[in-house]
Amino acid sequence: MHLKYESTLREPLVDGVKDYHKVTEDIIGPIEAKPGKLWYVGFFISLSLLAFGVFSVTWEVYFGTGVWNLNKTVGWGWDITNFVWWVGIGHAGTLISAILLLFRQGWRTGVNRAAEAMTIFAVMCAGQFPIFHMGRVWMAFFVLPYPNTRGPLWVNFNSPLLWDVFAISTYFTVSLLFWYSGLLPDFATVRDRAKTKLRKLLYGVASFGWTGSTKHWQRHESLSLVLAGLSTPLVLSVHTIVSFDFATSVIPGWHTTIFPPYFVAGAIFSGFAMVNTLLIITRKILHLEDYITIGHLDAMNRVIVLTGSIVGCAYLTELFMAWYSGSQYEFAEFYKYRAAGPLGWSYWIMMTCNVITPQVFWFRKMRRNIMVSFIMSIIVNIGMWFERFVIICTSLYRDYLPSSWVYYRPAWPEVGFYMGTFGLFFTCYFLFAKYFPVIAVAEIKHVLKTSGESFKNDMTKYEQESPEKFAHDLEHAH
Amino acid sequence: MEQKKYWKGLEELHNTKAHQEIVKNEFGEDLPFDESDSLLGATTPRRDFLKYLGFTTAAATIAASCEIPVKKAIPYVNKPEEITPGVPNYYASTYAVDGEYVPLVVKTREGRPIKIDGNTLSSVTGGATTAKVQGAVLGLYDTARLRYPTINGTETTWAELDKQVTAALGALSGQPVVLLSSTILSPSTKKVIGEFLAKYPGSRHVTYDAVSYSGMLLANEAAYGKKTLPSYHFENAKVIVSLGADFLGTWLNPAEFSKGYGATRKIDQEKPEMSKHFHFESTMSLTGANADERFTHKPSETGAIALALFSALGGSVTAPAIADKRVADGIKKAAAALQASQGKALVVSGSNDVNVQLIVNAINNQIGANGTTIDWATTANYRQGVDSDMVQLVTDLNAGSVGALLVFGVNPVYDYFDGKKFADGLKKAKLTVTFNDRKDETSELCKYAAPDHHFLESWGDAEGKTGYFSFTQPTIAPLFKTRAFEDTLLSWSGNTATNWVSYLKNEWMSKLGGQEAWDKTLQDGVIEPTTAPALAGATFAGDIAYAASKITGAKKGGEIELVLYEKVAIGNGKLANNPWLQEMPDPITRATWDNYACISNSRAKKYDEELGDDYEIHAGKKVLKITANGKTVELPLLIVPGIHPDVIAIAVGYGRNMNAGKAAGEVGKNAYPFVSYNGQTFDYFSPAITIEDAGKKYDLGLTQTHNSYEGRPIIKETTLQEFIKNPKAVNEDREELSKYGKDFRADGTLYPNHPYPGIKWGMSIDLNTCFGCGACTIACQAENNVSVVGKEQVIKAHEMHWIRIDRYFSGDENNPEVVFQPMLCQHCDNAPCENVCPVAATNHSSEGINQMAYNRCIGTRYCANNCPYKVRRFNWRDWNGADSFENNLYDVSDMNDNLTRMVLNPDVVVRSRGVMEKCSFCVQRLQDAKLAAKKAGRPVKDGEAKTACQQACAADAIVFGNVNDKESRVFKIRNEEQTERLFYVLEETHTLPSVNYLAKIRNKDAAPKAEGQHEEAAHH
Repeated sequence: MHLKYESTLREPLVDGVKDYHKVTEDIIGPIEAKPGKLWYVGFFISLSLLAFGVFSVTWEVYFGTGVWNLNKTVGWGWDITNFVWWVGIGHAGTLISAILLLFRQGWRTGVNRAAEAMTIFAVMCAGQFPIFHMGRVWMAFFVLPYPNTRGPLWVNFNSPLLWDVFAISTYFTVSLLFWYSGLLPDFATVRDRAKTKLRKLLYGVASFGWTGSTKHWQRHESLSLVLAGLSTPLVLSVHTIVSFDFATSVIPGWHTTIFPPYFVAGAIFSGFAMVNTLLIITRKILHLEDYITIGHLDAMNRVIVLTGSIVGCAYLTELFMAWYSGSQYEFAEFYKYRAAGPLGWSYWIMMTCNVITPQVFWFRKMRRNIMVSFIMSIIVNIGMWFERFVIICTSLYRDYLPSSWVYYRPAWPEVGFYMGTFGLFFTCYFLFAKYFPVIAVAEIKHVLKTSGESFKNDMTKYEQESPEKFAHDLEHAH
Repeated sequence: MEQKKYWKGLEELHNTKAHQEIVKNEFGEDLPFDESDSLLGATTPRRDFLKYLGFTTAAATIAASCEIPVKKAIPYVNKPEEITPGVPNYYASTYAVDGEYVPLVVKTREGRPIKIDGNTLSSVTGGATTAKVQGAVLGLYDTARLRYPTINGTETTWAELDKQVTAALGALSGQPVVLLSSTILSPSTKKVIGEFLAKYPGSRHVTYDAVSYSGMLLANEAAYGKKTLPSYHFENAKVIVSLGADFLGTWLNPAEFSKGYGATRKIDQEKPEMSKHFHFESTMSLTGANADERFTHKPSETGAIALALFSALGGSVTAPAIADKRVADGIKKAAAALQASQGKALVVSGSNDVNVQLIVNAINNQIGANGTTIDWATTANYRQGVDSDMVQLVTDLNAGSVGALLVFGVNPVYDYFDGKKFADGLKKAKLTVTFNDRKDETSELCKYAAPDHHFLESWGDAEGKTGYFSFTQPTIAPLFKTRAFEDTLLSWSGNTATNWVSYLKNEWMSKLGGQEAWDKTLQDGVIEPTTAPALAGATFAGDIAYAASKITGAKKGGEIELVLYEKVAIGNGKLANNPWLQEMPDPITRATWDNYACISNSRAKKYDEELGDDYEIHAGKKVLKITANGKTVELPLLIVPGIHPDVIAIAVGYGRNMNAGKAAGEVGKNAYPFVSYNGQTFDYFSPAITIEDAGKKYDLGLTQTHNSYEGRPIIKETTLQEFIKNPKAVNEDREELSKYGKDFRADGTLYPNHPYPGIKWGMSIDLNTCFGCGACTIACQAENNVSVVGKEQVIKAHEMHWIRIDRYFSGDENNPEVVFQPMLCQHCDNAPCENVCPVAATNHSSEGINQMAYNRCIGTRYCANNCPYKVRRFNWRDWNGADSFENNLYDVSDMNDNLTRMVLNPDVVVRSRGVMEKCSFCVQRLQDAKLAAKKAGRPVKDGEAKTACQQACAADAIVFGNVNDKESRVFKIRNEEQTERLFYVLEETHTLPSVNYLAKIRNKDAAPKAEGQHEEAAHH
C-alpha cells in the first residue's frame, strides 16, 4: 500500500468529493463553454476603460507632459505612484509561486495560477507609466545599453531608473516563463479534450507538444524549481530597486535607508490584497469555491496582517528617524508637511487603510469572512496607493527651498491613464479567465489525494489507529 | 576600319541558344530568392524570410528617415563687409523711453539685434540696466507694431500721407497745432519739433508723462527757481530716507540709482560699513523691501510724514501728530540719523504733490544734501511733463480750439485719468496724427498714423543730464514701412532738403568738429564732460509755511485708502506688450501677467482669505469691487505682507485693449481712472474708497506661493552691529561642522576627489546688493532663448526661468523683513541630478559646469526631482515649435511668429518639448571668451567671460569667473575679501555648489533674531 497521508486536523485544500476527472471538468469546463453574461459586461467595461486610457495617453504624448498637472517642483505624481503601486501588486504572484513553492506550502496550488497571471498583468500595467511619463517617449530606447554610433554613448549605470529598467524587465520575463511553464500540462489537457479543430490547433501550439511523458514531468518539475530559485531573489530585488529610485536621492522623505525592506513588505501586502480581490470574484463567478476555499483566504489574510504590521512599523520608524536624525528638513517634512500640511489628508488615509484597519485580521472570524476579506482587500490597496502617493508627492511638494513649494492635484489625462491601466489589467484578466485554466489543474491533482476533503475523510480510520500499528502496517504493506 | 568584335566567351562568340536566353534576362543568374507561391512552403523559407525581412526593414527605415524638412537658408551674394556669420557686432545705442536714460550696447548677429546691455562708458549708469531695458529688444520684433502709414486705418503710402497732412495743416486757418509727447531727451528732436511748430503760430508742444513727476518739477521751481530735476548721488549718502520713492524699481531712472545705492551697500569685512536706509511708504515696494528700517502709513499721510520729519530736524513747521507710535519713533530715528550725517544724507520722495516735494526740498536743504548728494550743477532731464499743461490741453481740445493734434509716444486715452474726456476732445480736432508704434487706444482715434521707427532702428541723441549725451544709431534696417518721427516732421515743415540722419549729423559735426569725432562718438555711444563738473547746491527759497499749511489743510483720508504704483517690469504700461516682462514675476508679489489689489492679511480676512495653506494652494483669489472717484474696477486680491493694513495698492499699466498686442491685451484692469487732479498735479492715490466682495474668484499666476524660509539656513543674515561685533557668527554652523574636517569637499565623501586642473567656473552672489529687481531674469531670458509659457502655465508652475529671485518675508506680518535670493543652477560638483539621469543626458564638464545634452534627454524629470534647489526647468509643452508633432505648439503671446523669432540668440539652441533645461552659466559666452583668448595665445583673463545675469546686474551683486585664477574677483571674494559672509546654500547635502552667496547684512539696531523666531512670521 502506498499511502499519502496528511493529518485531518489540517484543513482540506480542495473541498467536496472530487476525483481527477471531476477536477478537470470543474476547471477546464468553463473554457469550453460560452462565457456568461457577467463576463461580457465585465469585459466590455474593461475594454472601455482601456480605450479611455489609450485616448488619455495619446493626448499626453501628442501635446506633451504639460497636460498633466506635474510641475517644476513635483516632477512625479500619479504616474510614478501608479507605477510603484502596480509593481507592488505584481509581487504577490511570484511570491506565491516561487517562495511558497520552495517552502512547500501546499495551499498555494489553489491560487498560484491566478496570482501569477495577476503579476504579469500588473507588471504590464506598471511598465506603461515609466514609459509614458517620459517627455520624449519616442526616445525611450535610449535607456537600453546597446552598441551605437553615438560615440558609443552608454547609459548611466549609476542611475536607479536604469536599474529599474533591468529589474522590471527581468522580473517580467522570469514571471512570464514561470507562469507559462506551469500552464503547459494544463494547455495539453485542454488540447486533449478539444472538440473543435481550432481549439485543438491553438492549444496544441500553446502546449508545445506536451505529451505527459515521465521525462516531460521530470523536466517540468526541475524547470519549476530552477525558475522558483531564480524568482525568489527577484521578489526581493525588484521592489528593493524600485525603492532605490527614492532611497538614493537627496530629497527629505526619499533619502531613507529603510526603504528596501519597507517597500518589499508593502508590495507583498498590496499584492496579496489584490489576489484576494480577484480570487473572491473569480471563485464566485466561475463557481470554484471548492478549489479556492475559505482556508485559502484565511492564509492570505494572515500574510496581509503580517505585512501590514511590518509596514506600520516602517511608518513609525520613519517618524522616529526623522526626529532622531536631527535633520531639520526631514523633521519638517515628516511632522509638518506629511502628517499635517496641505497634503496631510493623504497621510492619514494611508495610516488608516494600511495600519489600523488590517488589524481586524487578528480575529479568525474576520479572516474567514468573505465580505470582510473582500472589503479589506480593497481598503488595503487604496491605502497602498496612498502610501506611494505620500512618499512621492508629499516629499516633493515641500522640499528644501520653500520658494518652490507647490500643491499638486492630477489633471484628467493622469486619471485617465490610471483608469486605462485598470482597463488593460481587467481586459487581460477577463481573457485569461475565459481562455486559460484559472487554477493549476495539474498541481491541484498533485495535492488532491493528500489534501482533498474526500480523501482526507478516508484517513479518519488511520487517525484512530495507534501510531505503532500505523507504522507497522505501512512498513509491511506489500 | 573594320569593326572588331570582342567576345567574352565562346558562348558569346557562337551565340548559342543558352547564351541568348541569358542575354534576354536582366540578371545573369537566378537571384537567390525562392519565388515559390507560399513563403512557408518554399524550399528555403526561413533564410528567404530573413532576407525579405532585412531588406524591407532597411528599406522602410531609409524611406522613413529620408523625409527631412527643407529649410531655406540663403547665403549672401555679396557679403557685407562688416557682417561675418557667427560673429556678433556691437552698436552703441540709448534707451530713452519716457525720460529714462540708459546708454546701451546692442549685440547684433547677422544683422539682427538680439541682446541689450548697458554701456559701461557712461558715468551716469555705469553699464547698469533694468529688466525693462533688457526686455526692450523684444519690442523691436513686436507683432502688434504698425507696419505702414495709415489713413483712417487703411494702408497708404508716405507720399500720399504727406500730401494729405500737409494739405490739412495748410487748411487749419490759424488754429494752433499741438504736439503731444512724453518726455523727450533728444535736443535735436526738440529742435526739429521747434522748427516745425514755428511754422504754425500759436502752436505748442505739450509734454505729458503718464506717471507724472510734475510735483517735483514745480517744487524745484518754487524752491530753487529751476523747473527741472537735480542729479541724485546715492553713492555719496550715508543715510537715505525715502518717502515712498521706489528709486530701485520705478522712480525716475532706477538703473542709475541702483548703481549708486548698490555702492553704499557693499561690505568690506575689514572695516564694515554701509548706508542706512529708512523707508516710509504705503505699499510694499521693491525699494522698501530693501530698506533697513521701513514704516508704513496711509497715502493721505505722506505730507504729514514729511512735515514731521522736517519738524524733527528743526524745521520751522508744526507737524500734525502721527498717531502710529512706531512710525512716529521711526521719524525721530530717521531725523536723528540724518542730523548726524549732515552732508552725507539724502531724502527723496515719490509724491507728486508740490507741497510735499517742497518740504522734502526744505529737508534736503536742512541736512546739507544740496551740493553733496544732490547736484544742481548738472540737472537731469528725466521728466519734463507738467500736469496743468495737459489738463489745459484737454480743456482746449474739448473747446474745439485745437486745430491739429499730433500724438507722439503717448497714449492719453488709456493713461490719462479722464481718458474719455481726452478722447472726446481729440475727436473735435480738425487734424489728428499719431506717430505711435501701434494702433493703441489713442492712435485708433487718430485719422493719420505715421508710425515712428523702433529706437533700435533709429538715429538719435539723448541728453539725460546737462552735458551728458548718449547716441542712438540703427542696429537694423527698418523692419517695416515706418519713418523716423523727425523725418516726418522735417518733411511736413517743408524742409525737404535734408533728412533726419544728415540733420543730426550736421548738428553734431558742427559741435564736435569733424567726421572722425562723430565716428568716435557713435562708437563710444556717449559724450560726457571730460572732467565731471563739481557738485553744486542751490539756494532754497521756497515758501515752507504755505506748503505746510496746504498739507495740514489737506482732506483727511477715509478708513481705507487706495494707492497706485508702477510695477518694475511693466512700468506705465507703454511697453506692456512684452511677453518677457509680462511673465517676469513681480519682485514682491511674485505674480505674473496681471494686476491685482494688493491687500494686507488682516484686511483680507474680512473677505475670507488669509495667508495659509488654503490661500497658497488655490490660484483663485477673491475678486474685490473697488470704487474710488466714482469709478469701479474689479480685481482679485493678493495678500502682500508689509502693506499698510488700511491700504489697497493697484498697479497701473494693465488693462490695455487687444490692439496693444496679444501679450498686453485684456490682461488685468486699467487703474489710471483712479488718478485724480488736485488742481495742480495728479494724485496717484485716493483717500476715500469703498470695497465690496464681488462674489467670484479669479486665478492669479504666482511663481512663488510660500513666503517664509522657515528659518532654514538657506539664507544667512545678520545686522551690521552684530557683524562688527562678531563676524564669525554668520557661519557658526559651518564652524560646528569643521570639527569633522576643514575640507568639506574631500572629507565629506568616501569617493575620491575630482580635480579641476584648468578652468573652474564659479559664481558669487552678494545678498546685500541683490535688490531683487529681476533684470538678471530678463537678461537670461534674452540671452538663452528661455521660453514664455503664459499665465495658464504659470498657474501650473510650468514657468521656464533659468534664474529666479526667491523672495522671503520674515518677522512681523505688517512690518516684515524681506530678503531676495537669486536662485539658479548651482553647478554642483557632486550634482544630485547627474547621477540619477538614466541616459547620462546631464553631466559635468571638466570646467565644473553641469551640462545638459538636450538631444540625449528623454524627459524622465528625475533630475528635477532630485535637485535640492529646484532650478531645473522642464519643457512641458511645445513652447517653440521645435517638436516633431504638428499643431501642438503652445504659444499664447506670438513668441513663435517669424518676426518675433528674430530675437532668438543663434548661439543657443531652442529646446523641444519633453526635455529638461536649466542655467548653463552662459556656456556660449564662456566658449567665446576662451576662443578669443586662445586666438590671442593666452589664458582667459578675469572679466572676459561674463554671464548675462552678471552683466545685467546694476549693483554688481553677481560676480563670475575662474576660481582657479588667483587674480580673479571670485577667487578673491571667496578666499580673501568676504570669507566671513561666504556660505553655500544646502552645503550640508554635500552637493558642492559652484555658486556661493554672501550673507545679507541689515543696518538696523534690532538684535538678531533667535533661531526659530523666523518661523513665526509671515508664516506662509
